[in-house]
Amino acid sequence: MSEYSSRKKGFGGNQIMPIIFAAVAALFVWMGLKKYGFWHPAKGPLPGFYPTIIGAGLFVMSVLGFIFSFKDKKPIFPRENWWAVIGGLSIIVGTFIIGLIPSVGIYVIVWLRWFEGCSWKVTLITFAVIMAIVIGCFVLWLQVPFPRGVMLELILK
Amino acid sequence: MDNLNFLLQGFQIVFSLQNLAATLLGCILGLIIGAMPGIGSLAGCALLLPLTYKFNPTTAIIMLGGLYYSNMYGGAFSAILFNIPGDTPAIMTTLDGYPMATKKKRPGQALSISNISSFVGGLIGMVILTFTGPVLANVGLSFGPVEMTALLLFAMTSIGWLVGENPVKGLMLTLFGMLVASMGMDTLSGSPRYDFGNVYLLGGVPFTPFVIGLVGFSQVIMLMEQRNIAPQLVADKLTLRDSMLSKNEAKRLVMPSIRGGLLGTFVGVLPGAGATAASIMSYSAQKYFKSEEPLGTGAVEGIAACESANNGAAAGAFAPLLALGIPGSGTGAVLLGGLMLWGLNPGPLLFKNSPDFAWGLIASLFLANFIALTVSWGVIPFLIKILSVPTKLLIPCITVVCIVGSYSTSNSMYGVIVMFISGILGYIMQKFDYSYAPLLLAFVLSPMLESNMRKAFIISRGSVRIFLEKPISLAFIIAIACIALFPIVRYFLIKAGLMKKKTAK
Repeated sequence: MSEYSSRKKGFGGNQIMPIIFAAVAALFVWMGLKKYGFWHPAKGPLPGFYPTIIGAGLFVMSVLGFIFSFKDKKPIFPRENWWAVIGGLSIIVGTFIIGLIPSVGIYVIVWLRWFEGCSWKVTLITFAVIMAIVIGCFVLWLQVPFPRGVMLELILK
Repeated sequence: MDNLNFLLQGFQIVFSLQNLAATLLGCILGLIIGAMPGIGSLAGCALLLPLTYKFNPTTAIIMLGGLYYSNMYGGAFSAILFNIPGDTPAIMTTLDGYPMATKKKRPGQALSISNISSFVGGLIGMVILTFTGPVLANVGLSFGPVEMTALLLFAMTSIGWLVGENPVKGLMLTLFGMLVASMGMDTLSGSPRYDFGNVYLLGGVPFTPFVIGLVGFSQVIMLMEQRNIAPQLVADKLTLRDSMLSKNEAKRLVMPSIRGGLLGTFVGVLPGAGATAASIMSYSAQKYFKSEEPLGTGAVEGIAACESANNGAAAGAFAPLLALGIPGSGTGAVLLGGLMLWGLNPGPLLFKNSPDFAWGLIASLFLANFIALTVSWGVIPFLIKILSVPTKLLIPCITVVCIVGSYSTSNSMYGVIVMFISGILGYIMQKFDYSYAPLLLAFVLSPMLESNMRKAFIISRGSVRIFLEKPISLAFIIAIACIALFPIVRYFLIKAGLMKKKTAK
């Protein structure tokens, strides 16, 4: 087990998931009954029928989950893990500005060379492998029209 | 005999250049992905799903089937060489595989035992699949909406209940998956629902980006913790000569492999049980049979029992998937989702309406078994190099594949955003000990359940008694009740000291 697994029991983050599930369930039940309808005497089940039943079930299970969650150990979310999320987010933001493929290329180089501290040789070999997969499989073979971003669109206009 | 004829026809389909290449590619990728700790077959299939869009459905599923199947081979590599299972079904392989590689200094032989027993277990599973798949489909033909509703409820609740330690969490995720799947168009009336005014949500949550995020991107976030951990190598290099088995070792692995293959196939057919449960059960069962060395000390029988069982289970899981449209695991759910995307509806009519596809897939599994055995042997001298690729290099690779793959499935950034959000959700779920297999299964099966459930209620005019009046549905309802009561019975058995409490390793 990793160093991140040492955890205590008690009130805290463990209750978040059941609360979120209960809120989602309540919303689906409310919308199912109010907006989409549950049952029609002639037509039978309406669009809200199934989500309402499932939502009610989820609400009950969430209450049970909330009660049992006090016995669970608290998880630890290491700060370094969120760098992967920031990396992914930076590609999404970069896509709108400079396009997807350049964003991916810049991300790989910045991540390996400066975040991980890899040598230029390792960085460039990995970069070449990743770009070969992206360009070879997705651009040339699958012919995916990747977004070019605001800047490239402006230049091309 | 009809089944054998159909199987031969299936081989004719598989032996096209494109399908052979797809099988080979699937096997190689499956071995590599299976061997890399922390990725696994589920993420592997999810990440490769966009690449298969260019193929016809038969070739696409042949490639994914080969990948899933050979993953079971690959999972044992890192279990034996690093004591880290490449995929969860290989957990039990560490118990004897790693001691054989380290204490007995015979890593090559451990890999060979694993490869041969995987082959035997898989072969048994495929032979059983060949004969039982169509039989199961014939049984399924007699199912109406009432029976299908009961069967789907059974499949979903059993996986929710059986996966992980906490049934409440499993059921919460199952129900949550059903709700997420109900967003978008109503399957029967065609009217929009739960779109929250968002034009993209009118089409519902797209399957492929959702799966890529949930199992692929979430894994990237989890891998961040391990990126600086260097694995301990058991040897500097491996050779084929050092991997040869003696006559006695070959003899010792036969019976545990056959037993493991049979048990694994049976377990693989059950929804929710899967390859991991199969290998645990087979290893436990092996304790009741003769082993030349004690289990846990690097015994041939220990490696053979669990490796044959997980491959048997992988093959067995295709029977309910193809014949009834019910996947037995998260990976099965991804394969089923892929089939639906390609316009195929697995279920009782598949063998009748698309025999080329069904038998082509079964034949491809036989071929994948041979190819995986050959490649897994051929790759032994290069394994140390392949497995020494640092995790920190894998992280940007998988991130890019997640983003590019999810974009390519929808040709829109909406797919990337869905992937990104579901990735964070998957990561948080893993941290809170929620397994995402029930969520995936529910997401895939929910439209089918809703359609059948609503039809059943139209037939019964709203009465639930119809589920108790039909014998097949009644049997499934009783089975659901038994599964539901199991944790309560277990609680009292533990209290009475008649059963041991499971403890985290």
